[in-house]
Amino acid sequence: MSSASANVRSRGEKFTPRIETKITRETSAAHNPFLVEQCRMHGYDHLELIDRCEFSDVIFLLLRGELPEPGERRLFRRLSIALINPGPRHPATQASITAGVGKTLTVNVLPIALSIFGGEFDGAGGVEQAMRYYRRASRKPAAEAAAAANPPPGFGTLYGDPDTYAEKLLRHLLQGDGEYRILDWVRQLHELLRPRQLGILKAGICAAALADLGFQPRQGNSLMQLMAAPGLLAHGLEFANKPLTSMLFEPDSSYEVEYPAAGEQAAAEQT
Amino acid sequence: MNYDSWAALRGKIKSKKGIWRIGEGVESHGYDLINDLVGHYSFMQVVVLNATGRMPSRALAHWFEAVHMCLSWPDPRIWCNRIGALGGSAGASVVAATSAGIMATDSRAYGIRPIVEGMEFIQRAQTEVSSEGGSAAEFVAREVKKHNGKPYLMGYARPVAKGDERIAALERVARQHDFPRGPHMRLAGEIEALLSEQFDESMNINGYVSAFLSDLGFSAEEVYRIFSVVVFSGITACYVDSADRPAGHFAPLQVDDIEYSGKEDRQIGGK
Repeated sequence: MSSASANVRSRGEKFTPRIETKITRETSAAHNPFLVEQCRMHGYDHLELIDRCEFSDVIFLLLRGELPEPGERRLFRRLSIALINPGPRHPATQASITAGVGKTLTVNVLPIALSIFGGEFDGAGGVEQAMRYYRRASRKPAAEAAAAANPPPGFGTLYGDPDTYAEKLLRHLLQGDGEYRILDWVRQLHELLRPRQLGILKAGICAAALADLGFQPRQGNSLMQLMAAPGLLAHGLEFANKPLTSMLFEPDSSYEVEYPAAGEQAAAEQT
Repeated sequence: MNYDSWAALRGKIKSKKGIWRIGEGVESHGYDLINDLVGHYSFMQVVVLNATGRMPSRALAHWFEAVHMCLSWPDPRIWCNRIGALGGSAGASVVAATSAGIMATDSRAYGIRPIVEGMEFIQRAQTEVSSEGGSAAEFVAREVKKHNGKPYLMGYARPVAKGDERIAALERVARQHDFPRGPHMRLAGEIEALLSEQFDESMNINGYVSAFLSDLGFSAEEVYRIFSVVVFSGITACYVDSADRPAGHFAPLQVDDIEYSGKEDRQIGGK
């Protein structure tokens, strides 16, 4: 190897020889140490979870470490359904449809859609920041947050106006028997900001509910992705057997190309 | 209406990049892709053109190509490469595994995202040091103080090892094409000398690339876009190695190789 490589020294860091986890405990089969005889998650037998829990309960368990209490169960289940389908016009759903109609491997459809859903435009990209903000700011009256010059995280506009459907979802989630401190604080903030033509966004709803449920901010973006996955996937697979012509392909007459000025282009070539 | 800008784009595509005119040709940034670019410009020149809108010289494209080579090691212990290798071992497609590895490099710890911070760092350093009375020594002292006395300056030090053999290789390519050392690179060298003396830390490839491209007037965002798949080839190499072996033969783990540190066995309902 070259002398340049000879000048590189290992830091001598100790990397673990074993992966440690608090989530899964497997017991091996007697005849083969790679096969599993029993699997437990946060202490619960996997087979018992199959028999006695809903899907959303086990998601909650995996990420929070405990099965949800009745009130938590209700909010988490309702939030999961509230966010389950971003709808066919969402950029992530369109990506899913485009992947599906393009006949990509079906196993690629969901990762493609979720990658795009990680953006901040009506997507999951802003949940973590909003959770950090709500956990801190909700200790004070919503009016203080409303007085800030910039929109708080999780608030804003969609297509130029407050998101009417997000507003409806927020109100709907707050109906019922639970008391959700941060979600209710966010509703108050929404009411205060509405006269300024700002409103709650779906990422803000997700952030407030997850904060009430005790999830960590670092989990927020990914959980919103997870909750939207069924709707994104369904639309993509709906198109997996359709012809390419069933997806948009704008005609040349609707396609406008505007190149930068010629002088700018020539100067760039000197680089 | 507040939604006018969206309404104006319904059913339309606006592009500053190009168009395929069926039966006429493919335009890319004002060039005829098939007749003007293919065979006349290098692939890496077109990569930079697509990312920035500016056609670089063949010499600069050669340097960019060298950076891609420096970041495409076929060692599956490197995090992105490990994902590629696991994909091969799991029987995923090469496209899925390579894409997954690329996404992993969208990381604060290694890969492409630190280059954004590296560009911002050296450009800020140049501004501060160039101001009246500024010096590299004072700048380094301020930065180290910000990080509680640790030499956590973006573009210096690297995970796992001290020193970076890739810098000498890139300098060789730069000399081959007579690229001069500009003010950012000279400052980067001064900072390295100070860190080496005080902390036994040196510049890493991020610091070198950031200084080199800052001297050529690139922005952080442009560099992020150019290098979006900079690691891909090393990932593919690691994918191929494991995909060509029997399934599951990359770094297999027995049940006992996982250390469980979570809750004790329990039953639903608290028993």
